[in-house]
Amino acid sequence: MHGSVATRVLRDLAAWATVLLFMFPLFWWVLSSFKPYTAIFNTTPIFFDFTPTLDNYRVTLAGASRVGLAVERGGGVGTVAGGASSYFSIPSIVDSIIVAVGSTVLAVILATLAAYGLSRWEMRGKQHFVFWVLAQRMMPPIAVAIPIFFIFRDLGLRDTHLGLVLAHTLINLPLAVLLMKSFLDDVPRELDEAAMIDGASRLAVFRMVTLPLVRGGLAATAVLCFVFSWTEFLLSLQLTTSIRTIPVKISTFVTSTGTEWGFITALGSAALVPSFIFIMLVQRHLVRGLTLGSLKD
Amino acid sequence: MATALAQRQAGGGVFRLPRWLAGDHPFPWLAPLTAMLLAFGVYPLLYAVWLSFQERSRVTRQFEFAGVRQWATALADDRMWGALQTTVVYTLACLAIQLVLGMAVALLLDADRRGYGLLRALMTLPLVVPPAVTGMMFLLMQDAQFGVLTYGLVQAGLLDPTQPLLGASSTALAAIMLADVWQWTPFMVLIFLAGLRALPKEPFEAAAIDGASPVQAFRYLTLPMLSRVIAVAVLIRSIDLFRIYDYVYVMTGGGPGTLTETLSFYAGRIFTLANFPYAATLSLIVLLVLNAAAMLFIRLTRIRF
Repeated sequence: MHGSVATRVLRDLAAWATVLLFMFPLFWWVLSSFKPYTAIFNTTPIFFDFTPTLDNYRVTLAGASRVGLAVERGGGVGTVAGGASSYFSIPSIVDSIIVAVGSTVLAVILATLAAYGLSRWEMRGKQHFVFWVLAQRMMPPIAVAIPIFFIFRDLGLRDTHLGLVLAHTLINLPLAVLLMKSFLDDVPRELDEAAMIDGASRLAVFRMVTLPLVRGGLAATAVLCFVFSWTEFLLSLQLTTSIRTIPVKISTFVTSTGTEWGFITALGSAALVPSFIFIMLVQRHLVRGLTLGSLKD
Repeated sequence: MATALAQRQAGGGVFRLPRWLAGDHPFPWLAPLTAMLLAFGVYPLLYAVWLSFQERSRVTRQFEFAGVRQWATALADDRMWGALQTTVVYTLACLAIQLVLGMAVALLLDADRRGYGLLRALMTLPLVVPPAVTGMMFLLMQDAQFGVLTYGLVQAGLLDPTQPLLGASSTALAAIMLADVWQWTPFMVLIFLAGLRALPKEPFEAAAIDGASPVQAFRYLTLPMLSRVIAVAVLIRSIDLFRIYDYVYVMTGGGPGTLTETLSFYAGRIFTLANFPYAATLSLIVLLVLNAAAMLFIRLTRIRF
C-alpha cells in the first residue's frame, strides 16, 4: 500500500485505462447516435470527423419522417430508402414506463409485506420458504414464458400491460423479498415491541415506525426492480405483440433490408438515461441488491 | 399506556378476529406473496410439466396425452445435446473469465485515493444496460464491414478480414462471450470490492511485518476471507449464465448453423415454431439441470440466505 510514487502513478494509469476500456462500447454507442447515416457505415471507423446531427433522435423520439428530413436538406424523396413512421418510439417508451412502474409498485408492496413477516416472526420451515422464494429466481425466463403464454391466453391477459406487469413482478419478487428482508433485519425487533406495548397496533407500528426506517432500502429495491423490468427482453418478446417495450422495439429495427444503426443507437442511448440516473442514486445499496440480499454492504 | 395495555389484555370489543388474522401472526403478511407465487410461479410450472407429456394431434390440432414421448425425443435429439454442450461451455468459460478479470479489476480499484470513487461508480454502468442493447452494441462494433473492433483487430493483424467475427465458426461464440464479459465482469468487480473493503486491516499489517509478499497475503489472507463472497458471486452468475438467451437472439440467432445455439435459445426457437410440448420439455431440462447444479453448489458451500 505504501509503494513509491512511480508504482502509484502506474497503478492510477492502469485503473483509468481499465475503466476507460470498459466505457468504450458505451462511448461508441452514444457517439454513433449523433452520426449521420454515411458516417456510421464508413469502412474506416470515424471518431470525430463528422457533423453531429440529431436526426436519429428526431425520427425515433419526435416522429419526424426520414423522407421529410431528406427533403428538408434539399435531397429528393428517392434518395432514402425504407418507411418512416415505424421508427417512432414514444409509444414504446410509454409501454415500458407503464410496465416498469406497475411491476415495481406491485413487487415492492408484496415483497415488503412478506419480508416484514419473515423478519419479525420465527416459524418452522422459514429457511425452506425463503429458499422456495429464491428458487423462483432460478426459473429460466423461457420456462416461465411458455406456460404463462397459455395461462394468459385463457385469462385474456395476453398482449396486455397487466399481463406483462404480472410477469415482471413474478421475476422481481425473489430479489425484492430477500432484499427487503435484509434491510428489515437491520431494524431491531425491540423497536416494534416497544411501540406495541405503548398500545399501537401491528399495522400502525409497521407503517409509522418500521417503514420510515427502511426508506433507503425501499428506494434501492424499487430501483433494482424498475431497472430489471426496463431492460427485460425475453418475456416482453414472447408475451406481447402490439405492446412493445423498448428492448423489443429496438430489436425490430434490424430488418431484412438492413440494420438501422442510427435509430437503434439513438433509442438505445435514450433508454439508458433513466437507468443510469436511478442506479447512481442507490449506488450504496447496489451490492446487496445484486446478491439478492445475501451479502451486507 | 397502562390503560391501553389493560384494554389489549381484556380483549375489548364484542367481536374478535381470530388471532392469526388480527395481526400478530405472520400469515397475513406472507399470504399475498404466497398467493402470487402460487398463481404465477407454481401453477405455470405444473402447466409446463403437464405440457411436456402432451402432443398435438395431427387430426384435431388438440393436445393429447403422449406419455414420455417428448422426453424420449429430447434425449435422442443431437441438437439438444449440442445446445446443452454450448451452454455449458459458455457458462464455464464466461464464469472463469469474469471471476479472474473481476478480481483483478477489484484489486486495482480498491484504493482510497482521489478519483477511485468515480472509477468504481463508472464500472457499475454496464450492469444496467438492457442485455438486448448490449448485444447490439457489440454487433455494431463487430460488424464485418464497418465495425470498429473488426477494424482494430484487422489493423493489428489479429483477424483475417474475410472471416467475420460473428459469422466464422471459430470466433462466433467468443464474440458473444465478449458482450457477456463486458456487461457482467462489473458485477464481479462490485461484489469483490464490497468484500475487499470490509476486510479487517490488522492481519495484513501483521503479515507485512512478518515479511509476507503481496502475492502471499492475497493467497493466504484475502482469498480465504473472501470465500463466502466468491461463492455467492459464482452461484448467482452461474444461474444467469446458464439461461443465456438475449445475446444469442440479437447477435447470431444461433448461427452459424446451430453453433451458438444455447438450450434456452433452442427452446425459444421451438416455441416460436409452435411445437409447444417440445418447447416446454426443453425449457424444463434447463430448469432441471440448473436446479440440480445450484442445489449441489449451495449444499457444498453452505450458503444461507
